[in-house]
Amino acid sequence: MMTSVKPSFTQSTSTNILLAVVIIAWLSPLSWLLMTSVNPNASGGFVVPTSFTLDHFVTVMSGTSLRQFLNSLFIAFTSATLTAILAAFAAYPFSRLNIPYKNTILWSLALLRILPQTAIIIPVFLTGRALGLLNTGGVILVLTLMNLPFAILLLKNFFDTIPSELEEASYMEGATLYQTLTHVVFPLSRAGLAVIWFMAFTTAWNEFLFPFLMLRSDQAFPMAVGLYAAFGQYGATDYGFLTAYSIIYTAPAIFVYFLLKRNLTTGFAGVGVKG
Amino acid sequence: MISTSHVWLRRSAKPMAIAAIPAVLFILLFVFYAGWTIWTSFTDLSLLGRKSINPSFVGFDNYIRLITRDGFLQSVWTTTVFTFFSAIVGQCGIGLLLAIIMKSSRFRLKSIVEFAILFGWLAPDVVAAFMWNAFASSDGMINVMILQPLGFESVNLLNEYAIEVVIISNIWKGTAWSYLLFSAALDTVSREVIEAAYMDGANALQRLRHVLLPLLRAQIATNLLFVTIWTYAFFSLIYALTGGGPGRETEVLSIYMYKQAFDVGKLGYGSAVAIAMMLIVGGLSIFYVRQNKDQTR
Repeated sequence: MMTSVKPSFTQSTSTNILLAVVIIAWLSPLSWLLMTSVNPNASGGFVVPTSFTLDHFVTVMSGTSLRQFLNSLFIAFTSATLTAILAAFAAYPFSRLNIPYKNTILWSLALLRILPQTAIIIPVFLTGRALGLLNTGGVILVLTLMNLPFAILLLKNFFDTIPSELEEASYMEGATLYQTLTHVVFPLSRAGLAVIWFMAFTTAWNEFLFPFLMLRSDQAFPMAVGLYAAFGQYGATDYGFLTAYSIIYTAPAIFVYFLLKRNLTTGFAGVGVKG
Repeated sequence: MISTSHVWLRRSAKPMAIAAIPAVLFILLFVFYAGWTIWTSFTDLSLLGRKSINPSFVGFDNYIRLITRDGFLQSVWTTTVFTFFSAIVGQCGIGLLLAIIMKSSRFRLKSIVEFAILFGWLAPDVVAAFMWNAFASSDGMINVMILQPLGFESVNLLNEYAIEVVIISNIWKGTAWSYLLFSAALDTVSREVIEAAYMDGANALQRLRHVLLPLLRAQIATNLLFVTIWTYAFFSLIYALTGGGPGRETEVLSIYMYKQAFDVGKLGYGSAVAIAMMLIVGGLSIFYVRQNKDQTR
């Protein structure tokens, strides 16, 4: 837009070169990852593989690392589902009823959203230790706790955009509240619910700090902690295994994003607090 | 107390309120935890030993220790440098520049550029840490592909230039967020405004400085606020990449807090660090919001 009004030859050439540099800078880690993961003689250097193998992926998909993959799936799936359900049930009345101090509550939710994890990590650890929740269940609860404020905020804004006439009509037709919710409101807010679910899923999938603090055995680790333990622990790093592990760990996050690309714009629009 | 203007909801207000209870409890727990951290910061609670069961109230001792011992202040400085260069200059600056260039460019590989920076953003923190760890090692890609051909000795960059590597990896990781946000913001700027400036003889730099930046000020300020808050408390990428080292060179506040609380075992002091972090971030937020208000007036 800046330069496009009538770009001169030099201008367009220089921007093209700049963009090419950006591609190289940003994609070289990815290309290294892909090449190393299929190279039987994997090393830290940038080597174009001379032969091809999927052994590293087979190794990752067995034993402890498979276990960690399943742990990650379980944690992220449960926490995202819990977040979406709890947020939906809280956000709907929040959107439709007149609750005293509504604006204050909205702003508090926004504040909680930006509160760093370090602000609650010590009480989380203390209650976890006291209640015997330094395990997968505890991690799921904490991640739900961290995701909930933003989820409620976003979903409330989303419900606000759904015209209440539709619910009124369904009431006139004699539908119960439950029927109105399941047949009118939730189907209409599929996009919003999907955004919440996937945001919570990716957050939980990527989360490192809480599982790192709360889990102690490598059988219980999600992939984030498993990968960290693997490359921090051994002096001579097994690059083939680690790159394959990284690719398998990254794939769901990327898949989810492209599945949801269109809906994400709704998520961005919903970020602002509307009084 | 709870009422509704929607007739059909009058009789349903109660079940709706009941369904909301679990979420409300979670939120209250969140608030309670934050309060608990404040309380802990005034005690000498420790991870193990007698003080873990019977902590005593020590008033502002922990906060005084923040200032009198140099560990905390050093971490404040590290965090500030890290945030300024990686978030404000790097992510915001490059993100804005890229968004502007991408809007105008007829470059054929635009979708690849977009995918490239998105990949950095979508890759989990620990994966990014692992990749940059491998990259910066003495037989890694930066040494093999760039430094050795140029005739430099191969060095372990994580030992020699740790803070630089951490900053660059965070720029690599986070630029996509700013780019996406600015890209969406640029869609709202009408083409006519830019064309009018062009017709009036403004060159590219003038159009950027006098037309585009003022129009985007609100979005830029909001984004600066967000990335500053996030980056100031960022933990996982740096911890997995360097662990705060070598020495304490990359020990940002969140890592300092974690180590004091869970490695050294001083939960009270760690809480004070966490609260101080919140105050700094809160102060920065107020500064940004004020700044933005004054300028739009």
